[in-house]
Amino acid sequence: MEYVTPFDERVREPIAHAPRPEDLRGRTVALLDINKARGAEFLDRVEELLREEGAETVRVAKPWFSRPATGEQVAEIAGRAELVVEALAD
Amino acid sequence: MSVLPDVALERLDGPPVALSDLCGRGRVVLVFVHGDCPTSLLALRRLAAVGDSAVRLVCVAEEDVVGAARLARRAGVDFTTLAAPAPYEVSRSLGIETVPTAVLLGTDERVVGWDADAYERLLGVALPGEPRLKPGCGARSVEGEPVGGLDELEDMLERGWTDGLPVVPPTPERVDAMLGGRDPERSLGDVPPAHGEATLRRVASCAVLAGCRPEYFPVVVAAVEAALEPAFNAHGLAVTTQPAGVAIVVNGPARERLGLNGGSGALGPGNRANATIGRALRLVLTLTGGAAPGALDRATLGSPLKVGLCFAEREEASPWPPLHVERGFDAGMSTATVFAVDAPVSISDHRSRTPEELAATLGWAAAGTWSPFWWPMDDTSLYVVCPEHAALFAGAGWSKERLRDAIYAEVVRPAGELQHGETTPHVWASDAATPVHKWTEPEKIQLVVAGGEAGRFSAVFGPCDGMGTRPITKEISWST
Repeated sequence: MEYVTPFDERVREPIAHAPRPEDLRGRTVALLDINKARGAEFLDRVEELLREEGAETVRVAKPWFSRPATGEQVAEIAGRAELVVEALAD
Repeated sequence: MSVLPDVALERLDGPPVALSDLCGRGRVVLVFVHGDCPTSLLALRRLAAVGDSAVRLVCVAEEDVVGAARLARRAGVDFTTLAAPAPYEVSRSLGIETVPTAVLLGTDERVVGWDADAYERLLGVALPGEPRLKPGCGARSVEGEPVGGLDELEDMLERGWTDGLPVVPPTPERVDAMLGGRDPERSLGDVPPAHGEATLRRVASCAVLAGCRPEYFPVVVAAVEAALEPAFNAHGLAVTTQPAGVAIVVNGPARERLGLNGGSGALGPGNRANATIGRALRLVLTLTGGAAPGALDRATLGSPLKVGLCFAEREEASPWPPLHVERGFDAGMSTATVFAVDAPVSISDHRSRTPEELAATLGWAAAGTWSPFWWPMDDTSLYVVCPEHAALFAGAGWSKERLRDAIYAEVVRPAGELQHGETTPHVWASDAATPVHKWTEPEKIQLVVAGGEAGRFSAVFGPCDGMGTRPITKEISWST
């Protein structure tokens, strides 16, 4: 029996992860705060630890936690950083 | 060792692949199965629970791609699944007579039926649990196609084309009737979170599944258009841990034309248009948009509202301009307005005799919504005022604005009474005596009229606070 699917069945090619770096020295890590309570505090501590490892950091905060990051923010992260740490939720 | 046929098999997680492509990439175990075999299902479920292994598992289903997807979903399989339907060249070339049969690619090593100990040796992992042994079933390459096949309604449920309730199978004829000559390729936009494209064909498929009559389709389309407006934030609503339902309010001539209920039991069951239009929007969000509960929909509890809700405003019993007029549309237009809300709280008030008393009851009923000490709320609450309550306000000459302002002004507490546990940064930062309202502004209180002639039960739908969602209204277009 033939049916009309409600799904969008286009196959999307999976996007491969970037290779993991051997160490963090000299790498730039974006710290993305989704703007939920106390996420910034968590990232403050992560930032300290990353800097101890020799990494540079870039802080980015979403304007609204329940919406995706803006295109400009995604472009900024992709353009400036090699790794991302995201503080997800409270 | 067998020679593998040069056949590209459809896979569920990427482009087609030939088994020869899998050779030489480490240890690969092919698990031959089909959907009528309980032992196949058992084996897949147990193997799906295996964590990291040095061996790559590949499910080879003697099914077409739809049957393979159905089997993978039933078993919770997340490893590569290939569809290897009739004429079963792959099964035949490897001499598969029983399913499940596991074959270590490039060797003659295999496990026939379910044999947990043998699988443990083959994969190098522990497979605890019973049964340890279970005979398999005849392979389709030997036994042939199953006779009869699934009941059509069961087929829909097994495909996952459902919210859990029975659905109407979307045959091409039914979908064409639903489209009513509209362009099936017309796109209403991408539906988050999985960004499936809401072509009218897919929306019509959802409307058929939901049980809509074709004349309801313009309302479904307007509701989908409204829900996909960025200001509605369908993305956040789809993936949140909140219960996050959607209520559709229909205004204008469409109500009578389609027989939508705004009267007795308007928020409950019993009316096909109400029940199926609300359900159709939900199916677009969950199927086309990929927001299936437990998958990308991360709601902790969800709510019955998530099955879908659509009702008509009972404009004729309202002393106030109807919702769509309030929102800038002509009274003669038909509209659908979507609200992102929690499940409704019923408000009984049979004894208030003044509008001030009744406004206080309505207002304080919402004081505990979202979270009892979370003041103020910044998203929209939707009140459904019953006709008898509306008549009391009308008799006192109260406008909708006056009622809205009275509810806003009534529900206020000193910050000191709210300063414990889950409350807002605003409350924590305020002096104990500072008055704090339940809503950030009166406009966050929306009011419509619906319900039966008798009885003094109104309702309030609490907000999806923190979602930054706004109600959206779209005109219902009858043209094709």
